[in-house]
Amino acid sequence: MADDPFRFDDTAVGQEPTFETYGCKVFHESPETPDKLRPDVVIEREFKNGELTAPDGRKIKFWGFVDSKSPDPVFRQPVYPSPPMRVRVGQVVHTHLKAGKGPHTIHHHGILPTTFNDGVGHVSFEAGEYTYQWRPHKPGTNLYHCHRNTVLHFEMGMVGLIIVDPKLKGRGWLSDDGPEYHAEQAWVADDMDPRWHEFSHNDGLCGEDVGLNRFEPKYFLLSGVFNNRTTTDPRAVATVPAGKTLLIRLLNASYSVLRVTIGVDAEVHAVDGSQLGQHAWNRPFTIKANQPFDLTTAQRRALLIKPTQRGEINAKMEFLHWITGKIQDNGRGVVRTKIVVT
Amino acid sequence: MERRQFLKLGAAAAAAGTLSPAMAEVAGPRDVPNRIIRSGRLDLTITPYEYPMVDGNLVYVNLFEIVGESFLNIGRRGLHPVIWAMEGDTLDIRITNKDSRPHAFAVTGVPPISGEPIPPGGTRPYSFKVPPPGSYIYHDPYNYPVNRILGLNGALIVLPSFDTTTPPPGSSPIPYNRTQQTAQVQALFDALGHSKFPGNKWVPELPADEHHPRDVVWLTSEIDAGLARRVADGAEVDGSVWKSSFTPNYFTLSGVSGFDTARHEELDDDKFAYAGLIEPEGYEGQPTMLRCLNAGLCTHSLHIHGNDIYELTGTNPAGAVVVSDNILALDVWAMPPMARKDMLLPFVRPLDAPVWPPNDEPFPMRYVMHCHCEMSNTAGGGNYPQGMVTHWEMLGTYKDYLKSKGLL
Repeated sequence: MADDPFRFDDTAVGQEPTFETYGCKVFHESPETPDKLRPDVVIEREFKNGELTAPDGRKIKFWGFVDSKSPDPVFRQPVYPSPPMRVRVGQVVHTHLKAGKGPHTIHHHGILPTTFNDGVGHVSFEAGEYTYQWRPHKPGTNLYHCHRNTVLHFEMGMVGLIIVDPKLKGRGWLSDDGPEYHAEQAWVADDMDPRWHEFSHNDGLCGEDVGLNRFEPKYFLLSGVFNNRTTTDPRAVATVPAGKTLLIRLLNASYSVLRVTIGVDAEVHAVDGSQLGQHAWNRPFTIKANQPFDLTTAQRRALLIKPTQRGEINAKMEFLHWITGKIQDNGRGVVRTKIVVT
Repeated sequence: MERRQFLKLGAAAAAAGTLSPAMAEVAGPRDVPNRIIRSGRLDLTITPYEYPMVDGNLVYVNLFEIVGESFLNIGRRGLHPVIWAMEGDTLDIRITNKDSRPHAFAVTGVPPISGEPIPPGGTRPYSFKVPPPGSYIYHDPYNYPVNRILGLNGALIVLPSFDTTTPPPGSSPIPYNRTQQTAQVQALFDALGHSKFPGNKWVPELPADEHHPRDVVWLTSEIDAGLARRVADGAEVDGSVWKSSFTPNYFTLSGVSGFDTARHEELDDDKFAYAGLIEPEGYEGQPTMLRCLNAGLCTHSLHIHGNDIYELTGTNPAGAVVVSDNILALDVWAMPPMARKDMLLPFVRPLDAPVWPPNDEPFPMRYVMHCHCEMSNTAGGGNYPQGMVTHWEMLGTYKDYLKSKGLL
């Protein structure tokens, strides 16, 4: 219907997908947002190309979302990973996507909106421009990413953190009922296969074998820092005063099984986007110092660390191959970082 | 793109699909097949096929089939058939090997039944007592893991018998027996139907007027078409070589991929009906069990949209089902090789939609489930999302459900 601002009939919501529109020629639209409310927060995300220089000097292309209206100039340029979103429970949020040549989508992973606002093309549409509407009902650590040709677009860097703070107390509390934290560090682990970074957006979509089933990473990063600098770069190194509580928001954004070892006891207070101990069926638990634990792709953990003495605590992340279980790149797939206790 | 039909190989062709009497119960050719709870004797065959992948490529596979219940095209119950059984019953499974190589049969968590392989053309009985409630993988352990990965795997789902689960007064039914039960699983199932989970309780049996299953099996596996071709061409591929060189290029959910994992109108009747066994459907407040089993060699990272789901069970080193005493709400759950996890999809409204029920946006809501280690969402090296993906469908609110039943 031409006068339908939501264009449902031009998407998989109103039109039965065929084999072709399911994968190769997914619905591409720029509709109005249904059931649109006045937002409390508007988040801008625009597609941009970026380039990183690897430790060996190699230039690696990436794709990112930039925040064209960010007060922080860093986020007005492409960064890897994409800029975090930070909102509070109960806020009506509008994420305004401009896909550029596109199309792209934004899936707010861990956020639970309607289908039209969930950013998956084959059950709705891929967008040139669209405003995704959501209102988080619980605090937590989530992520957003492009869900077009996801295998490639997620790897290319179109991914960032979503942090939802509690409604009343905001930053510094995991929920309005506690616990409190005094310092905060995001650890976003990622790996890169440079072969993939030469692809263009639609490669592989319509039947050609481009080898997107084979992922052979050569570079390993933590929060955008290559692993030659993760013990010194402040984007990767956590800092907390002795006697205070550090919150680590840990996300595996790699295509490896991430084996994490931290040299201090860590209390797990949230898994994925859900806090533990809010209901009778679960509770927080402790991972003992130097006890390895695994995260598969897109899993999150909120870890509380309460160091009592000044010094440095080591942390290690090993990127394991999803079939062999061996450390990637002949044993080189390791990120080391630390927690500095002041 | 040409989507080819199924080819049977060699002598096996003669055994092709007759309808079982049970199929007559199915209302229409596109309806979801009814669940059959097995006990006593069950005849299975092991048969090689050239089987069409979602992109039309023919790939060599071996499949278990229930005698008399397979369809030529894809099989309603015939493809990776799910064996539903009651705890404590005895299953007497007779396996006939229609392949030219030896095969065997095993069930995770069940003591080895026989170490003897089944020779080509031979039949062997495997009789065992059905283990406690939960999800198990039956498979061919011969030439590990080659035969299993060629396709010889399936799910055994065990239901509790009534006398071990009759809930104490005031508490709700759970899908486990009282020995396995934890306070936490009981607390979660008791909460269903109340404020956090408006709608129905979990029900052990579907109401008579409902057809869509509230208990689905998501059996993951992978196919390396090149290695499979070498086996088809007569090479003896050693299991250790297989594991080190395994480069899968097709990724399956209960034997199918991508477009074929959900009920798309374009699918033929058999595929459409089969997809109904994978794709959960219901109204708000109809909690559904997701039986997740990984028969493959990759560690998968399954992710669901629309609802957080609850991890109810895992397994211990002996393979026994262990009901969790710390039930996590997750949107991603790790599935290493041979992992078996029962998850509960609560079918609550999408909790971050600010307008509910929606005024502009129509039902059904559709939410995908896919492996987030996204190489598994390819077919033939590309073709995203023709891999390990499906979706679940919310038909309406709980009020709509009550209206549909004439209760409002």
